[in-house]
Amino acid sequence: MKGIAGKGVFLPEKEGINKSILGFLKTLLEKYVFDGIMVPMRVPAKNSYAWVLVREPSLIMKASPLAPVMPVQGAKALKSLTRKGKGTLNFAVLMRPCEIRASIELTKLNQIHPEKITLMSIDCPGALPLSDYIQNPEEGEKRFEALFTGESWSDETSKPVCQICDQFSWQPASDLHFGLMRGQKKGIFLISNSEKGQRVLNEMKLQASESVSEWKKSIEDLTKKRQKKREKRFEEVQTMAKGFEPLLETFAACIGCHNCQSACPICYCRQCYFNSTISRPDSDFIFQKAEVRGGISFPMDRIFFHVGRMTHMSLSCVSCGLCSDACPVSIPVAEVFSYVADQTQRTFEYRAGESGEDAIPITRYRMEEIQGVQNIVHQAEGAMSKDG
Amino acid sequence: MANQLTIKKSSEQGLIDFLTFLLETRKISAVFTLRETGKEGVFDYGLITDVQMLKQAIPLHPFMPVNAGQELSRFKAMKKQVAAVIRPCELRGFIELIKRVQGTPDHFLLISYTCGGALRFASSLHGKGDTNLPGYWKAVEKGENYKEIRPTCKACEYFVPMNADATVSLVGKNHEDECVLELHTEKAKEMAAGFKGEYSEEGTKSQIVDTLLEKRKAEKTRLFQEIGSVMKDLGGVVEVFSRCVGCHGCSRVCPMCHCILCDFESHLFDHEASVIEKEFSRKEGMRLPTDTILFQLGRMNHMSFSCVGCGMCTEVCPADIPVASIFMKTGSETAQLFDYIPGRDIDEPVPVTVYKEEELSKLG
Amino acid sequence: MTEKTFTPRIISFLCKWCSYSGADLAGTSRLKYPPTILPIRVMCSSRVNPIFVLKSFFSGADGVLIGGCHPGDCHYQSGNYHTRRRVAILHKIFDSFGLETKRIRLAWISASEGVKFARVSSEFTEELVGLGENPAKKEIFL
Repeated sequence: MKGIAGKGVFLPEKEGINKSILGFLKTLLEKYVFDGIMVPMRVPAKNSYAWVLVREPSLIMKASPLAPVMPVQGAKALKSLTRKGKGTLNFAVLMRPCEIRASIELTKLNQIHPEKITLMSIDCPGALPLSDYIQNPEEGEKRFEALFTGESWSDETSKPVCQICDQFSWQPASDLHFGLMRGQKKGIFLISNSEKGQRVLNEMKLQASESVSEWKKSIEDLTKKRQKKREKRFEEVQTMAKGFEPLLETFAACIGCHNCQSACPICYCRQCYFNSTISRPDSDFIFQKAEVRGGISFPMDRIFFHVGRMTHMSLSCVSCGLCSDACPVSIPVAEVFSYVADQTQRTFEYRAGESGEDAIPITRYRMEEIQGVQNIVHQAEGAMSKDG
Repeated sequence: MANQLTIKKSSEQGLIDFLTFLLETRKISAVFTLRETGKEGVFDYGLITDVQMLKQAIPLHPFMPVNAGQELSRFKAMKKQVAAVIRPCELRGFIELIKRVQGTPDHFLLISYTCGGALRFASSLHGKGDTNLPGYWKAVEKGENYKEIRPTCKACEYFVPMNADATVSLVGKNHEDECVLELHTEKAKEMAAGFKGEYSEEGTKSQIVDTLLEKRKAEKTRLFQEIGSVMKDLGGVVEVFSRCVGCHGCSRVCPMCHCILCDFESHLFDHEASVIEKEFSRKEGMRLPTDTILFQLGRMNHMSFSCVGCGMCTEVCPADIPVASIFMKTGSETAQLFDYIPGRDIDEPVPVTVYKEEELSKLG
Repeated sequence: MTEKTFTPRIISFLCKWCSYSGADLAGTSRLKYPPTILPIRVMCSSRVNPIFVLKSFFSGADGVLIGGCHPGDCHYQSGNYHTRRRVAILHKIFDSFGLETKRIRLAWISASEGVKFARVSSEFTEELVGLGENPAKKEIFL
């Protein structure tokens, strides 16, 4: 947790974490610190959640600071508000760490203009798989309550990518963080990261006077556990994705609906290449392919779509897992994409969403880098000169 | 020439033999049909040019991974002939697309079948398909709605294909005993010439088809009433669509939604912050992203009268919204305004592209 | 108990050749009609995508008026016939969901019918007062 402030504001938990945070947000609205706050709220059908930009202080008490499910990525909701510019009102958004990271990536891609947005993050125990929750919301609420308020966060019921998430807490790029303290001293740490965050504390007349070291240690301990789990899981995922046959097997049920692409916050292109006419071959080409192989599948080019999408967005993948939630045939898209993203991001020593200043690797270069590729070029050149 | 061809093999094997004959004699260059991919109970549509691969074909299985009408529309004009085995709703979808200049029937031998419904994704994938098949075929033989077929299939009264070149009779038949193929068009009869089987004049229509039709009509009434009882005002509409995440998956798998850039994904809905802020200032709160309900009702306005009730939209929805049932209901009502049945007649223009000078006199 | 009446807000799409001119005439003739209508000029009533009507409705307009030439008189021959069908479909969908079809009105108003424009505006406004405010105004989950 490099760069985190040593002290924060400690808010003791009065009537549960939810009410305490909501009470704080309500005061922010009452005191006009913000014109509106974007938080998750239960939908009228009562079996899912949606992002609501709240104006009325009393309405925010009906919200949830952290929803059991993540049907829409927070960065996408924020993008719908600020894609074309910053507007005139001051807003705050309370999102999960992966949604904050996705917002940072979208900012780099010019899809979010965050000048008048204060990004608030919160410690996240994970989200539940969407279809499980919708089938049985009462059970889902119970499970999430246990996850959220329980002592241990290593639960097996959250989404697969959540179970191996090592960036579930304080984010370098958020303005204000809600750290959740467990154990003897239950409460919430407010940690400011930036001028925007400090403004909030100032206007609420709060002083960052309590040391965060105990909370910080608990987070760092869990992070180490998760990192081990992540490495182990990626080794298993390799068998799903490394090699042509495994890849075909994993994506065999794909029907080409592109829900994964729609749900992904990073896939922002209004017209994706894979939805356009350019990607649709003409009949002669279809027949050529079919005749060579004896037959081809429809819809065409599904593996091409997935590998292509990986190529386009893996550098910015934040492992939020919405792709898997959206898949109607239960393909573990998120785990495969997270594994590949881990590989591509490591190549450039880049971690998506960590810093607003770190440009997306494909948009910059250094004169000397990626020695692996460079070596291949040298080898080829060497071979060429031998041939004369 | 005779109208009915009977093959003394199971319905599926008989049809595969017929397709093999067409491919071997080069009357067609390829077969478009369902096939097993060889991976753990996974299937998809395939364009098959090699006769050996026809062994993997499962042309009559109750699976629908995509609406085949959408896939057939991808074939632009070509000189080759393709025999395509598709469901009645997929065929109607294809006809509707042809009316919108999104495909042509000329290079297809369209083979369909009296349809007992398509299984839901959950009941057809990951091995579940095989466990459901025996019960399914029994239900089709008896003229009943099998429990795991799509809700819109249970309410579908157009399960006897319209505009097919040839139809396999499945409803009311024991599919293990024989394959009964009805040849409707000259094209079908010419293609069949030379194939060994029993030729006869068309047999009498099965009583069981009528029985199933009555059951389907009753279910349609019930389903529509159920929807109407919940979606009876703005609050009801909002509640049913409140889980919508705006992925537009429903639109993408819908054969009718063929627009390359949908209105709802265009600049029309890419709002300036000031527009959203203005609306925000009038309310206690507003959901983001905006225009969720607008998308649903807008899509209905654009295509509901052409809805063929294939049920793909519900299967693909990540939020478990019964999209197909809702659109089928609305579609049935909007189509009725103009006495229209989607896919019934290839020469019947899409209602919004034509008009009568004297009509709807109450408006205006 | 006093009855609280509100001032309805009507968004109208008026075709340039007929109904917009008719509205102009109502103005120049100093005819009295309520100040509830926001006119948006379109070249032909068939320019109106149902999306415009829906967006107006969901943004909180109490009523939406589409004004076109009388059938047979469309400047582009057949535009208004298509408009008529589109409104029929829109009405049917609203009806199907119990939404108030009376909030969406189609009117044939020619360039010389200033009086008709004023009358339609007054009638529509009165009808909307009776119907009450558009429930979409307060709806959060649109």
